[in-house]
Amino acid sequence: MAAVRRWLFEPVPRGRVAAFRTLVYLFVVADITVVTPWVRTHADVPGDLYQPLLVGRLLPLPTPTPLLVHGIFWVLVVASLAAATGRAPRALGWTVFALYFEWMVIAMSYGKVDHDRFGFLVALAVLPTVGRARHGDATPTEAGGWALRVTQIAVVCTYFLAAFAKLRFGGVDWLWSSVLARAIIRRGTDFADLVAQVPYLLIAAQVGIVAFELASPLIFVLKGRRRYAGIAFFYSFHLFTYAAITISFAPHLVAMTSFLPLEKVRPLEWLRARVRVAQT
Amino acid sequence: MDTLTTRGRAARLLATVATGALLLAGTLWGVDDDFPFGPFRMYSTAPGSDEPAPDTRVEGVDTTGAVVSLTERSTGIRRAEIEGQMAAYEADPSRLRQVADAYVARNPAAAALVEVRIVIRYEGVRDSRPTRTHTDEVVAAWRP
Repeated sequence: MAAVRRWLFEPVPRGRVAAFRTLVYLFVVADITVVTPWVRTHADVPGDLYQPLLVGRLLPLPTPTPLLVHGIFWVLVVASLAAATGRAPRALGWTVFALYFEWMVIAMSYGKVDHDRFGFLVALAVLPTVGRARHGDATPTEAGGWALRVTQIAVVCTYFLAAFAKLRFGGVDWLWSSVLARAIIRRGTDFADLVAQVPYLLIAAQVGIVAFELASPLIFVLKGRRRYAGIAFFYSFHLFTYAAITISFAPHLVAMTSFLPLEKVRPLEWLRARVRVAQT
Repeated sequence: MDTLTTRGRAARLLATVATGALLLAGTLWGVDDDFPFGPFRMYSTAPGSDEPAPDTRVEGVDTTGAVVSLTERSTGIRRAEIEGQMAAYEADPSRLRQVADAYVARNPAAAALVEVRIVIRYEGVRDSRPTRTHTDEVVAAWRP
């Protein structure tokens, strides 16, 4: 138990939290403007088609109108950009979490729920709890360590529990079913059409996917370079998925950066150093 | 070093366990409606190795007789959202009026629609590979 607790609260440098925070909040802006712009189009969809999710009925959240959708959109853009600077991390962090969550209810209450952002929602929920964190600050923080750890766990759960969903909904037959062929027919790229013609390759891919999902928690056993290699493999899985059926799982990919030493990525510092060199 | 207080640790531990329990329950017994704790059921069905693959589309016919594709871009409604509410459209095709309304709202200058229909193209599959053959079926149609 003590070992689990130590692992759960393993400190990380404050600078890592600062970098992750900036990335996450900038992605909120990218998500609502570029990555999933269709959410905003629900403003023009008749209210009759709104079938609120359980959480939307419990709270109870209002039926989206153009005013509500566009209002949330603009407040979210401004609040996320402000939060990305690291200022007022609690007030702005909770505001972004609440608004983005409502944005998700607007997104998924019209007959289709996506499964690509559990880790990202966890990141948004825990980032405000860390408090202040400056870029480049090497001071270890337990609160920050917990925030990154639970985001990592959520990311791995997205893979690991997906294997159980396949067993529950598809059964063992999923392994040799035509699920990937069907996905490719519906939204396959030219690359996917090429792959689909190779006999049994799709079935082999299905077996590989389940093996990968079941093995994904092993990422926590790996250390150092091996862990980064594992994360690179996770990313490459999504690269192939995108190349085949143009599904990106973008929010999940952002949450997955919680495994990386982000404090070493200092674009503003690099830029400043360059300017300094240019001036001398 | 920032260390957490005993209370801070306990609260976080509790939040972690509670969220984990909800997610586990969602995976075992939940449905999409339980978002964000529903099962991660993307691509989790197991269609038979020779079972035709349905490819749904929504299209309209305008006053000029042209067939207009009613996509996420032209109506704001995603294809998967049409499929998610398919039973309702089949039971009551007049619900397609809402798709037509959404189209008009986004394309006020476009020619009026005289028919809206949901078509499923069944693509052939053999040994879990596409055969590149297909048949179309209109599952719901509505005329104003």
